[in-house]
Amino acid sequence: MSELVLSGHGLVKRFGPTVALGGVDLAVAAGEAVAIMGPSGSGKSTLLHCLAGIMKPDAGEVLLLGQRIDSLGERRRSELRRTRFGFVFQFGQLLPELPAEENVALPLMLGGVARGEAVRAARGWFGPLGLAGLEGRRPGELSGGQAQRVAIARALVSKPAVVFADEPTGALDQNTGHETMRLLVEATKHNGASLVVVTHDPNVARWCDRTVEVRDGQLLVPAGGVV
Amino acid sequence: MRTTLELAWRLLRGGGRRGLLGSLLTLAAVAVSTGLLLFAVGANHAFSQRADADAWRHPATMAGGAATAVQALDTDYVRGTPITIVDLAATGGSASRQAPVPPGMKAFPKPGDLWVSPALADMIKKLPADQLAKRFRAGAPTGILGDEALVHPGELVAVAGHKPADPAMTVERNDTTGSETTASPAPIDHYATGAVSTIPQVYQILAIIASVLMVVPLLVFGGAAARLTVARRDQRLAALRLVGATPGQVVAITAAEAVLTAAAGAVAGALLYAAAIPALTQITIGGGTWFAGDLWPGLLPLAAVLVAVPLLVGVSAIVGLRRVVVSPLGVAKRETPPGMKAIRLAVFGAIVVAFGMISGNLLSMGKTGAVLLVVFLALGFLSINLVGPWVVALIGRVTAGTARGPARLLAGRRLIDDPRSAWRTVAGVALTGFVAGFLSLMNPAAMPGADAKDRMELTVAKARAAAVADQARERLAGIPAKVTVGGAGSDDYSRTVEITVPGGDAAVDRARTALHGVVPGTSPTPPAGSGAELYLLADLRTGALTVLVVSFLIAITSAGITGASAVLDRRQTYAMLRLAGTPLEVLDRARRQETLIPLAVMGGGSLLTGLFFASPFAVGFGFSGALTLVAFVVLGFAGIIGAGALSRPLLRSVTADPAPRPD
Repeated sequence: MSELVLSGHGLVKRFGPTVALGGVDLAVAAGEAVAIMGPSGSGKSTLLHCLAGIMKPDAGEVLLLGQRIDSLGERRRSELRRTRFGFVFQFGQLLPELPAEENVALPLMLGGVARGEAVRAARGWFGPLGLAGLEGRRPGELSGGQAQRVAIARALVSKPAVVFADEPTGALDQNTGHETMRLLVEATKHNGASLVVVTHDPNVARWCDRTVEVRDGQLLVPAGGVV
Repeated sequence: MRTTLELAWRLLRGGGRRGLLGSLLTLAAVAVSTGLLLFAVGANHAFSQRADADAWRHPATMAGGAATAVQALDTDYVRGTPITIVDLAATGGSASRQAPVPPGMKAFPKPGDLWVSPALADMIKKLPADQLAKRFRAGAPTGILGDEALVHPGELVAVAGHKPADPAMTVERNDTTGSETTASPAPIDHYATGAVSTIPQVYQILAIIASVLMVVPLLVFGGAAARLTVARRDQRLAALRLVGATPGQVVAITAAEAVLTAAAGAVAGALLYAAAIPALTQITIGGGTWFAGDLWPGLLPLAAVLVAVPLLVGVSAIVGLRRVVVSPLGVAKRETPPGMKAIRLAVFGAIVVAFGMISGNLLSMGKTGAVLLVVFLALGFLSINLVGPWVVALIGRVTAGTARGPARLLAGRRLIDDPRSAWRTVAGVALTGFVAGFLSLMNPAAMPGADAKDRMELTVAKARAAAVADQARERLAGIPAKVTVGGAGSDDYSRTVEITVPGGDAAVDRARTALHGVVPGTSPTPPAGSGAELYLLADLRTGALTVLVVSFLIAITSAGITGASAVLDRRQTYAMLRLAGTPLEVLDRARRQETLIPLAVMGGGSLLTGLFFASPFAVGFGFSGALTLVAFVVLGFAGIIGAGALSRPLLRSVTADPAPRPD
């Protein structure tokens, strides 16, 4: 196995009496695409949120390139999410007021890059993702698939170590979903980032190098025994 | 209907903590607007009460034969405060036709009787007799006037009884001020048909203008409150649509929910207003404070407000719900908005130019001028409201075009995206800028005559001027006063006898007392420009300041409510941005700039428009004018920043846990 980028060890998360994660271990290698599958309420999104530093686990630890991130304060975790992680969600992640290119440039601007430079860098993503000519359109003027590709560009523009995607094709038809997943996986790999995708759709999971399954807050160990 | 109400009630109760917060904010907003609306209604009622209370001093004149009494009116001064003196004499009549009993008195005054208001009785007791009491033949009062005779609690009023042949009841009086504070003896037989005199009429008109100025921001405010109700419900109601509720049912549930919250808010507002009445009665207008009963609008108007406010909030909520009703998914299509039409600017420009063209002649146009002024004021106010969103969109384009950081870019883009909503947040304060600008040029201290407290005039027939001057000199022996015969009075046949009394209020009052009766029934008047005109101007300031304070209160609360509403509207976007690592400060800074940038431009713009509209009657821009402007700028910005800061905890709360699902 190549170098580990992200790993969670013994992750436990409870919501009141509900145990969402009951001691989960997961490791993601550099450039690897991992699908987390499971039925609704199984704890797959909670696992993603713990790995991405959105939530603090009640027990266990999360390491990014060997450094613990779950014990960091909210400010540091926010900064980490902005600089080392990228996110693609089902919907709602694009700002409706901003044109597509500014939506993509936003993470760079938040990191202190000058606006002109950030927008230039953002435009560089439109051609490869099949979005040429749509730079000035606003999210409301894009189709669902186009909006998801803009979101992929935004997730990758700051050269993250890991991209997290939560049901990225959940709001798309089968063909568009298929195309979106292809672009997400290819673009992520092309940039040397790892990919963690939460989905309940086996067709989506098929695009990834590896699939792990979560049930009742536990990871089902595959035949090979490695997660 | 019953099911709808039950469902609305269940939704209201089961809204959770955030739902409760939204309901409480709506309730508070409706309470404040109801309270202020009652204040506007109460103020109109109060001025109408005053006009009614003043009417008996200006009764309808009867034909000589039918009259049972003679009444004359005069205005004297003590310590610079006017004393209204009503002289009365019964002219016989019969057992069946007695002289009418004036309001606040038990019987028609007999010759030699002196009835005074409680405040005047106190003054008579407090001041040496040669400064006040000696002006009245009776010396000591024979009765105290009831509240029905008074315009305000502290008013100085005297009712003196005379014989019909007394010079006070026969000699014509000269109303040199034109403000109906003096009236010659006239035959009367009743008080019921008393006409409203000029000054109360002016006050009533001003009260209506003030109400309009307050009600416009109130409507904006009510809309914001209703939007808040909708902001937190659209998701639930979209879910209702998905399970098959008809648009009509969704509308009914929303309306019922909003009306229930607003009804509670309206009742709370009425209680709030009732509690505030004692403090409000202390606002001095027209030289005095108010009776509590003046400010209570009455049961019927109260009931009308309590019904109208919840209904308006309900209608506003329904309008805000259109998008949920249209689409069961509740998804708003966000497209590049069409640009605002520049015709708005053209309309604004046309009104300003038209006002500029006629403003020079307004003062010489009499009543037409006053009507034109009111019309242009209203047009000025409305045109700022019209041009506001257009300017906000323009500011947005400039802000977004020049933004270098993410917060300013977000702010600029949001201004372009929804200039009307951004305008709603700052409209109240910006429109208040118009009032502040207008007000800053109304400076009574700069009026000619404002420093003329030691001067008074008697207007007499040309032929008698020298004799009256001599008589005055004689009476003022021992008082350091200077008596001269001045220029023509109100016409070629009269002259003014000018008396200057240095030495302060006490000397002036001694002189006034000494001069009493030199011209029967007529007291010396203050020089032109220092009497009722100065009073009216000072009251204009008080009134405008009251409107300013109320508008500010509405505007700032409105900005707070709109801010909270905007956070709830964008909660999903905020949560996603936070989740992707956007610092809370950036989101907060964007929110702040989204409000402060248009506020700076529009507040400044409407301030200048206000200054322009006040320029024809500018009476000096002194310290108080500068203070008004500085106070507007400081309070406006501080208030908006403070109101925006109030929704910061809400922003923190909606972004605190972006992924609460245990999935």
